[in-house]
Amino acid sequence: MKDKIFEPRILGFLCNWCSYAGADLAGVSRLQYPPNIRIIRVMCSGTVSPHHILHAFQRRADGVLVAGCHIGDCHYLKGNYLTMKRMKFLEGLLRFAGYEPQRLHLEWISAAEGGKFADTVREFTERIRELGPAPSFEAVPKATAIKVT
Amino acid sequence: MNTKIGKLLEEARVDGFLAYRTIHGFFFPYLFSRENARKLEPWKQTKAHYPMAKLLLALARGNPNRTYGILVRGCEERAIRELFKWGQLERERVVMLGQACPAELARHCECWQPYPSQVDYGKPVPPVKGSKRVQDLEKMTAENRLQWWLSHFNRCIRCFGCRDVCPVCFCTDCSMEHEKLIPSNKLPPDTSFHLVRAVHMTGRCIDCGLCEEVCPARIHLRTLYKEVNRLVEEVFDYKPGTDGQNSPFIFPGEEAMLPPGPR
Ligand code: SF4
Ligand code: SF4
Ligand code: FES
Repeated sequence: MKDKIFEPRILGFLCNWCSYAGADLAGVSRLQYPPNIRIIRVMCSGTVSPHHILHAFQRRADGVLVAGCHIGDCHYLKGNYLTMKRMKFLEGLLRFAGYEPQRLHLEWISAAEGGKFADTVREFTERIRELGPAPSFEAVPKATAIKVT
Repeated sequence: MNTKIGKLLEEARVDGFLAYRTIHGFFFPYLFSRENARKLEPWKQTKAHYPMAKLLLALARGNPNRTYGILVRGCEERAIRELFKWGQLERERVVMLGQACPAELARHCECWQPYPSQVDYGKPVPPVKGSKRVQDLEKMTAENRLQWWLSHFNRCIRCFGCRDVCPVCFCTDCSMEHEKLIPSNKLPPDTSFHLVRAVHMTGRCIDCGLCEEVCPARIHLRTLYKEVNRLVEEVFDYKPGTDGQNSPFIFPGEEAMLPPGPR
């Protein structure tokens, strides 16, 4: 069988007030970015529980992007401070578990930054493409794991 | 008879005192009261390790108007302090007597504080810095580490022992029982089961090691939570169980806390 080009599956959590509007602007401005990202709109980046991120990896997401308002601009005042610390912690935890922390990305994107949104998605998709498909998160060591293609 | 505990009971400073009693030659947690105070035994050094703080929590929830005394090790004091901070126990209703852990236990636990702030029994031994088990894992390549963890998680039978024994797991609704996030018909459970528990232990785990001791699958849970604690100190600048400093995880404020009492 011919090798298929690997198309990363990326999940994006965008906060309603800034980053989602930024993504909207990218669309309205007809900026091009890879279609690999699936977006979930959340009210604030601070509402993204690590559980949701881990669940995404468990369900074979190759990368997870979390985007929110710039520091100081969060519409719930301190939501993104929490996001920032949480993501740093989660990166450390993933690393200790042996999972590539680069598969997790945090970016501040304001409602006016349609271009930044498109760039972020493009760069992140490229990064994940280089990393290749995410290793299985199933609690079965490799030797016995069923290969998923 | 143990005089310090006997005195507390006699003077009615406490309604009950949670300590140990020898039954068939083994140490067991035992609730002493004025009525059975004659059963108190002289203090003895022991490696026996029980979820004392969790037992106290259950007692306090069932009898919110009683004051209890408790014999604590370093980790148990930390657990109780963390429970104070989270509004699960009332400071005025807990009287602690402290015992220092033997050197052997401190070494086994790699404990950063093998004694409580006030030591009534035993002689404090020096704390252990760093953790060899964490360092050993750090030496592996990422790929091997993932396979190492997966081969351990693979054995989990989702008995919830680790959660149930944990002194600082006090929620009444547990997201690890959320049908959509951790499907209950899947064994071994998803890896996210363990990692989510690790996330929930941020700012709470006081490194007592009970989870690992109780796990029938002998999963190295303590190693995981030791790394969690290291990260929490690095990222959030917080060491669970310390006095004074409030937990940065108590967010957004008092209103969000569960009231103490039975449920
Ligand atoms: S070591 Fe285990 S049982 Fe003890 S506080 Fe931490 S998670 Fe809970
Ligand atoms: S105690 Fe061990 S086997 Fe039981 S749920 Fe926890 S990790 Fe799994
Ligand atoms: S509302 Fe955008 S990060 Fe909180």
